[in-house]
Parts: sequence; structure tokens; C-alpha cells
Amino acid sequence: MSDNDQKSVSRRKFLSVLGTTSAGAAVLSGCSTEKVEKLIPYLVQSEDQVPGVATWYASTCTECSAGCGLHVRTREGRAVKLEGNPEHPVNAGRLCAMGQAGLQGLYNPGRIKGPMQKSGGSWRQISWDDAIALLGQQVGAAGAGLAVLSGAPRGSLTGFLADFTAAAGGRLVRWEPFDQTALRLASKRIFGRDEVPTHDFAKAKYIVSFGADFLDTWGPTVENQRQFAESHGFSRDGGMAKHVYFAPRASLTGLNADEWHGIKPGSETALALAMAGVLLGERGIAAPAGAPSVSVEQAAEATGLKAEDISRFAKEFAAAQPSLAVAGGIGSQHAGAVELCAAVHLLNYAAGNLGETVRFGGDLDRGDGQAAFTALQQAMEAGQVKVLLVHEANPVYGTPKAGKFAEALAKVPFKVSTSLYVDETSSQCDLILPGLHALERWDDANPRAGVWGLMQPVMEPVYPNRNSGDVLLAASQKAGGVFAKFAAPSWEAYLKDRWAAMAKARGRDAATFWREALAKGGVYEPEAAVPVKAVVAGAVATEAPAIEGTGDFTLVPYASSLLYDGRGTNKPWLLETPDPVTKITWHAWVELHPDAAAKLDVKEGEILKVTSAHGSIEAPAYIYPGLRPDVVAIPMGFGHTEYGEYAKDRGPNYLDLLGPATGEFVAYLGTKVTVERLREYRKVAKTEGNPRQLGRGIAEAMPVAYAAKGLTVKEAATAAGHPPHEINTEAEVKALEGWREGQVGREDGEGRRLGNYAGEHPLWGMTIDLGKCTGCSACSTACYAENNIPWVGEDQVLRGRELSWIRIERYWEGGTDGEPVEARFVPMPCQHCDNAPCEPVCPVYAAYHTPDGLNGQVYNRCVGTRYCANNCPYKVRYFNWHAYARKAFVAPFELQLNPDVVVRARGVMEKCTFCVHRIRGAQHTAKVTGAPIKDGELTTACAQACPSGAIVFGDLNDPQSRVRQIAQDPRGYHILEDINVRPAITYLAKVVHREPAHAAPGGGEQH
Amino acid sequence: MRKSALLVGGAVATGLAAAVLSGFTGTTTQQGPSAPAAPNAPPAYTIAAGDSANLKGPKQPIFFRHDIHAGQYQITCQYCHYSVAYSSEPGIPSMQTCMGCHLIVAGSDSANQKEITKLRDAWNAKQPVEWERVHYVARHVHFPHQRHVKGMGPNACATCHGDVARMPQVWEVNNVNNMGWCINCHLERKVNRDCTACHY
Repeated sequence: MSDNDQKSVSRRKFLSVLGTTSAGAAVLSGCSTEKVEKLIPYLVQSEDQVPGVATWYASTCTECSAGCGLHVRTREGRAVKLEGNPEHPVNAGRLCAMGQAGLQGLYNPGRIKGPMQKSGGSWRQISWDDAIALLGQQVGAAGAGLAVLSGAPRGSLTGFLADFTAAAGGRLVRWEPFDQTALRLASKRIFGRDEVPTHDFAKAKYIVSFGADFLDTWGPTVENQRQFAESHGFSRDGGMAKHVYFAPRASLTGLNADEWHGIKPGSETALALAMAGVLLGERGIAAPAGAPSVSVEQAAEATGLKAEDISRFAKEFAAAQPSLAVAGGIGSQHAGAVELCAAVHLLNYAAGNLGETVRFGGDLDRGDGQAAFTALQQAMEAGQVKVLLVHEANPVYGTPKAGKFAEALAKVPFKVSTSLYVDETSSQCDLILPGLHALERWDDANPRAGVWGLMQPVMEPVYPNRNSGDVLLAASQKAGGVFAKFAAPSWEAYLKDRWAAMAKARGRDAATFWREALAKGGVYEPEAAVPVKAVVAGAVATEAPAIEGTGDFTLVPYASSLLYDGRGTNKPWLLETPDPVTKITWHAWVELHPDAAAKLDVKEGEILKVTSAHGSIEAPAYIYPGLRPDVVAIPMGFGHTEYGEYAKDRGPNYLDLLGPATGEFVAYLGTKVTVERLREYRKVAKTEGNPRQLGRGIAEAMPVAYAAKGLTVKEAATAAGHPPHEINTEAEVKALEGWREGQVGREDGEGRRLGNYAGEHPLWGMTIDLGKCTGCSACSTACYAENNIPWVGEDQVLRGRELSWIRIERYWEGGTDGEPVEARFVPMPCQHCDNAPCEPVCPVYAAYHTPDGLNGQVYNRCVGTRYCANNCPYKVRYFNWHAYARKAFVAPFELQLNPDVVVRARGVMEKCTFCVHRIRGAQHTAKVTGAPIKDGELTTACAQACPSGAIVFGDLNDPQSRVRQIAQDPRGYHILEDINVRPAITYLAKVVHREPAHAAPGGGEQH
Repeated sequence: MRKSALLVGGAVATGLAAAVLSGFTGTTTQQGPSAPAAPNAPPAYTIAAGDSANLKGPKQPIFFRHDIHAGQYQITCQYCHYSVAYSSEPGIPSMQTCMGCHLIVAGSDSANQKEITKLRDAWNAKQPVEWERVHYVARHVHFPHQRHVKGMGPNACATCHGDVARMPQVWEVNNVNNMGWCINCHLERKVNRDCTACHY
């Protein structure tokens, strides 16, 4: 989009007043008829933008290093929604919550609006020409004192930065906190390959995770989750994989395991080696030379597990082929993490998983590791670094304070940042040259061998900043000398040159290659797996690593899938989306086991002071059953002191408690802490209601044996000795007669006549497979993005006023009387009941039923009596108490608003619409083109995003539709079926690997 | 949500250019036959530019004569309102579209020349003309133009907007924010009257 400036000005001006469709950019009131419109034409019509029609671009997500492919929906020149690219091998059309929230990075009010230079301790705006001249002068004079610290995903820019620094004899360090260095080093030690392997969860029939949070932050989580749903989601012909999770704390990954065992921190290595020993013994394979052996008894002693359980795990693991063991997650990254990963490599080797579910040759690396970072820091301290360029990294926030990186940074005479935001690191720099967001620039990403994703500008930059590649090229010309060779006229030209070379290497025409890649979002080549054999260089230490310091508790910091390493904390969507495990929003907390809490007499919300040898932090307590009693867990990502208004005042940074990183990686788990009550309180803003089901049958589950037999939820309950709730009155019996059969099975339309009174219309419905849902909350964030849902803030969440149209309920099962704790996740959008209780109570007919089976909500008719919400048994109607949109969509956030969806005003009830605007849009297109809507062509934002593919949307009246097929699954049930509201959403009961007698339907305790 | 085409940024997307062209060539049937001037209407094409304030409808920054363009020269609506057949938005012509003709067409008399000069000056200054909007549907209403144009055929535009071809200056013939007026038409034609057809 290399339009001239004049044009871009006119276009932006045009956009600011276009606002014609509904929720225009400028005006937020929902029901206004005020007439303040000018029509401002384009000077020159953009070739790829038509008002009212979405234009899609392929791009690549840069929110983490996984490199998922994107389809970006733009309207009138603005990116309004991100979706996964179905062609992309990593995410196959899906996208996580963090990826969805990339838009809030693009339109973040905290973005820097132009280059800034620090003079006399305060910032002053300078021109781009002056800024580039200054950078060129400094870089030219730095010589070998030039260093670049880059956190960006690997791509052409990485190569350029390497050349750029090498030209002067300087150094490039690629660093990010979650770099999987331990796994990489273990691969080197065991297999002689200095890379992170790729894993195939889809093939695995038995998955053992030693603290690798593959659904939270470990590896490409969207890909992991998609594959996990494939293997671990129940199907009657394919069975269901088993997942066992060993770590001191049950993360989201742990809650999705069939068995979670909170073993002693650091004892994973012994366990993995013991399992490998059993396997090798069973198969009569000799252990690789040098591999240590640990007996089952020793492992039992180390972990606190029973010896027979360890044998059982090993035997089950051996019996399932292929299986998969993974390790190297943040929550178990202790000083012995390399040993652990090495042990797990041996376990996979013993089970014959190499080349099957564990493959090398992807050439994955996620940075140079902590050792390179430490070396850079030492050079900075020694005054060897004259000019430091920090690109897409925030080490002042992301490294332990005790490591004193900030002090080292202060010793560098000239520090430059390309950050888009003022964060902890860029605020310490001398010059900020704000770069462009990934959606505004030309760039590429190479997350693994054979996958090259392209990024293209999908819109004019929100602020007139410059791509860091362009800035460095321009600065090179200013610097001259050794840098004069970087003479590409622009980053786009440089990138095209590199891609031309790629095309040449493949014998392709460069222009065609480029255009095809741009349309597809990149180049995807088949994986070239490299066979490996175990070489075992160096022994694997089996003893548990030392936990430093004193105190009653071991500190377990963990990373959330929303805030990640803290980069998500400036995005209100991610703060408002409840943490998938704890359901807490907006503020940090400290997790304690119920027993520990009872011992300390701590209640939820009591401020705890957690002290280590390196510092102390204070945060409110949250009592979490998925924890060992001798650990405290603290989420990462909070505690920013800069990084924009949304990130500030969100609680402490756990890194204040850690000692300096000494080795190849940061030992996140490795500190003893004391916990002290301060007798102060802070309410925890969590969105859960009652954490238990109390026998309401909301999140049903059945043992895999019953599911395989094709039992329904009620049959399974009866078989397990829990007869379902009895229907009492004759009238009730009569009312429900034939209801179940009529749901989807009957052709005469009688079954759903309440919902589909017009007959020939489609009947929209949804299925949600709880066996696949992991609770990751991608659907929820996608809904925020699609439907212009304003975030409400911590204070309003505390009052229960959040507007999350699709929320994820998390219910606890067990956890008492020695029963293992189990979580069940239920996505809860509006159920679009046929016999909806909300409809008859609306005095103004704002809530009503549409002929195509939707529970409609007419905002402009709603007067806000809230009767409907009171009468909704699912509590999915949300009242807009204040003019939340005014606060949430401050400039430039409002540019993200979806013009197809109205922005609701204050005093209006709002709720899930089944993305009615998508339905109507598809119907309009179908009308114009004459081609009927095909099944699968139209889906809701939540179903589109779901990395597990748990949500399916479609026409229940179409006997061939996928949603109808799935709705007829015996596992299908309706939440609160007995109240006869006839929901349009069919849930498929979760399937658990458990002996039938213990499977409690409808939530354990019957009250 | 249908993804009709995945476009390539920064490059010429020929497909859409073609779509605009087809909007031009394929719609000649949609314009009604030019009606003879009504007896009490001011004689077309003779109104001086300075009179525009006395005409119905908001005064526009340039006295753009729909009666000349759509009436006298019978340019089809979709030549300028290019996206009406496939978008909810009808589209307003870019300045380039205006200049496509007015680079050459300078006006037959001084009054017209004066107005065309305004357009050319704006084009040379790269300043788009800020037209006063005449028809405006409230934000909580979604009106898909494409569906109505498809469904109603040749006289689609005039049904709501009146005989624009005879309006020197466009005025709002029908209050498009009057839901009763919408519903009447939907009743007469026996088409969808569901609330969520328009309100969502």
C-alpha cells in the first residue's frame, strides 16, 4: 500500500466520517438518528476496498513465535478481525485468544506516535529524518560496540540483523523469555541436534506431559490444541487418547489431563527415567550408552507417587503406540530442566516415538538462549557495547530484577528501541524509533523449516511510523562505510530480493512465486523429517535440582495463555478475558492450596506477602485445589511499571522474587518463599459463580467405556448408579413427551415448531463437544472482536457486569475426600431456546424468536427492564449498565469496530446473536448470487476461532449438515434439559478415562 | 461470513476493477426510460448555479446536477454508485470518476463552468469534495442495497430515492428512517418482516 501521502490523508478522512453502515467509526451511540453526515469521496478509488464489503488479506501472526497464518478481515481500509488461515500448516484456520487480540496491539492507545529522543531526562519528538540521521551517525561510530537484542520471531529481519551487526563486528542476540532452551540443549545432548523437535499430538495415543504446558504456552499452542483435540477428543471408532500430567501445579494443560499428579518439584527427571527403564526392560532394548537408570522405587520416593502407579504409567505408555512424552514447560523450568528434557527424550526413544510423534528437522529454535543474553549483559556492564538496538523485546521487564539488566542497560551510551509502545525497556532508551505493527508492514516469518509466512500491510499505519527494516536500511546509508552495502531502497525491496532468491532455489519465477505466496499467506513445504538416533553425550543427572532459599513454600511461577510473558497485558481484551484456570480478571493473585490456606487461615482475597531471598511481592490470595500444598503459584505477565495505562497497577511481577539467571535459561521454578498474611483484603475480580455444579447437570461427563457403547448421558448415569433427576408432575411428563426425538430427528418439523414456526427457513443451531473443549477462551476473545463487545474493567467485573457473550464456565469436581480434582469447562453462549423464558417476559417485544430459530434481541426496542435476564436460566443476557463503549473504544480502538454490528448504548440488554450479522450477510450474498448457502460456509466467530474445533454451527433443518449429524450423537444433551426451554445448543458430554463406577454425572454432589 | 476473494495488497487487483466495469455495462436495463419533464417542474438544464439554495434538498458544495447527469445524459446510476449491486453500501464516486469526464467536459455555459471549475480546483488541490448527505439510515438499521437492487429490478433506485433523474438538487423524497414506510413496502411485497432482518 504505497499510496502517496495525499491519498492516504484523504482516505483516512473519508473513513472517519464514512460510518454509514451502522456502528461507524466515529459515533458510538446505538440508537441515534441524529444526522451529522458528510459524504467524502475517495480522491482515487482504492482498487481493493469497496465500502460495505470486507476485503481479506493473508498475513502472519506475530503475537508469539509460533507463526500462525492469518486471514485479516478489513473493512473500509481498517483491519477489523483476525482469523486463522486454513491453508497454514501450523494453525489450520484457528487462532488463539492472544492472536485475536493482536488487533488491540495495532490500535492500542499506548502506541508511540513518532520518533522520540530523550534529552535531559524527558522525551522530545523529533522528525524521522533527524532520528535516522542520529541513528546512522551512532551506528557508524559504534564499530564492534554495536549490539542488537531482538525478540522477534525468526524471519528475514533476523538474517538482516545478523548481517547488519556482523558488518561492524558487533553482536546479535535473539532472546525471548519462553525460548525452550532446555529442550533444545537436551536434543543436542541426546540426539546431537541443536533444535527443538516438532511434536505430533494428533497421532499420539498416550500423552505424558512433565510440566510442558502445551495448551498454555509451550510450543505452537494452537497447533498443539488442534492435534490434541484430534487424539484426545472422543470418537466411537477412533477411541480416545489418554493424557497424564505431572507437575506441582495443574495448569490449563493439567486440567485437561485424565490424570494430574502434583509430584514434588524437580522430581520429574527421576520419573521419566524410571518409566523409560520399565519400557526398555519390557521391550528388551538396551539403554543407550551412558543413559542413567532409575528404579521405580527410587522414582516413587522422589516424586511421592506410588511405585505401582509409576509402573502402570510406563506400561500404559508402552502399550499405546505411538505415544508422546513432552517436557520443558515454564511451570517446571527448574535448574535441572535440561536433565528432565533429556530424560524425556530417552523415554520417547525407548517407546519408539522418534520419527512418529517426535520429529527433528524442523530446525526450530526460539532464540539464542539465556547464556547469550547474559554474555551481552556482561559486555554491556564492561562498557563494550556502545550502541544497543532493542527490537521487539522487553528484557527490563522480562528478566529477574536481581539480574540487574536495567543497571547494565544504563551503562550503554546510546540505546535505541523500535518498540511500538513505551515499555520498561524502551523508556530507558535514548531514542525510540517506533516500528510498525505486523499488520501494517512488509515482513516474513520462518517459524520452522519449510514454513515461510508473509506479512503484508493490510491497512495504512495507524500512526505514521516506519518499518524497522526501512529505518535500518536508511540508517545504514547515513552511516556509510561498512554499512553502505545495505543499499536496498526499501524493506519491501529487500524482502522481495530474498524471496526472489527463494524462488530461484526452487526453480520458480520470482514474480509468480511472490504473488502466490502473498495470496496463500506464505510458502508451506512438506516437513523434511531427519531421522535421529540416541547418542547421549554426557550423563543425565537424576537427582532433583536444588531449590534455593528458605521458606515453607516453593514458588511456582506460571505463564498464562492470555498474557504470555507479559506482552499481552496492554490489551484490555486479554485482561478482561478470565484466566482460563482461575477465572480471575485484571489483577494478579497468589494461589494457595486449600489445605495450606486452612493452615494459614487465609481466605480468598486476603493480601499475602510472598518473600524470597531476592524480594517480596504482595497480592490477593486465591485458593486453588490444583496445586501441591507445599507450593504457591503466581501468574506471570502482571506487574508492569510502564507499557501503557492498561498494564499499570495490575499487581506485582513475580520476577522480583527470583535470583539472577546464571545458566543457559532462567530457572523459574527454583525459589523457596515464605508467605505472610497482611490482614488486608482486595476482592478478586473473578467471573465464576458457584465453582461446583451442585447436581445441576451442567457439564456432563461419562466414562470412555460407556461412550464407546453409545450410551446417552442419562443411560450412563443410570448405569453408574446415579439415576437422573425425576420429572415429577404429569404435566411435566406430558410437556417433555417426544421432545428428545423431535429435537433433530423428525422430518415433519413438529419437534422444533416452537423455534421454527416458519417451517421452510433454516433452523440455526450449534453443537459444542465438551470432550474437545479445553477451556482456552479463544472463542470468548473472538466474540469480543467480532461483536464490538466493550470491556468493562475490574471494578465492573467485581459487580458481575462483564459483557462476555460467550463465557467459559469452569466447574470443579472431586478434590475432596482424596478424590482427584477434575475441571470441566463449558462454553456458555446464549442457548437460543425454542421455548425461551426470556421472550414472554419482555414488555416491549425486544426479546423475541426469529423464524430461523434465533433468540433475537432488538436493541433499539429494548427499554432495559432486565426481566429477560432475570428469567434466563443460563444467565447469558448481559445488561449494559454504563456507556461502556465510550470507555472501551477510545481512539484509536474504535477503528477496530465491526461496522456490521451495532455498538450497544447504555441501558440495553445484549447477548449472543449467533453472529446474526454473518447469517444475514451470507443470506444477502446468496440472494444476489443465487447460490444457496452451503453447510460450513457460514459460521460464528466462536466456532471459527476454536482451536479444538469443538464448536460447530449450522442449519439443523438440513439433514446433511454437520451440526445435525453431531447433534444426534448419543453423548448429546441439553443443559438444564428438565426445564423444557428447548435450547438450540447441543452439548456433547465430556468423556473421561475412568472406571465407570466413579464417573459422577451432573456434578458430583447431589444436593 | 463468506470470503469471496483473498486479495493481494500493494498490487493491482484486476478482479475488482472488472467488477466496477461490469456494474457500468451490465445495468443499462435498470434505469427507467427518461420521463418527459413534468409540466410544473422548472425547465431542466437551465437553472443557474446560484439558484441552488432555493431548490429542495441540502445545498451542496458543488451544484452537482443529477438532472443533467442521470436525466439529460442518461448515465446509469451505477456508473457512479458503483457498488450498489454487490454491497450494502451504494458507493459514492471517487473524485477520479468525476474527473474521468470533466477533464474534458468543461461545461456548456458559465454557470456550469463555474461549478466544474470548483471540481477541478478541488482535484488539483487533492481535496475531496465534502458532499452533504441526503439519505441517512440510523446506525441500528442495516439496509443492504444489493439485495433491494436485485429484488426490485429496474426501478429499484427510484422506489426509495424518487426520480433523481429530474432533480437538479437531490432531496429526500421519502424519509428512509421511517420504519413504517419500510414495513409497508415489505408487507405489499410479502417479504421478510423479521426484526433481525434489519436490526442487529
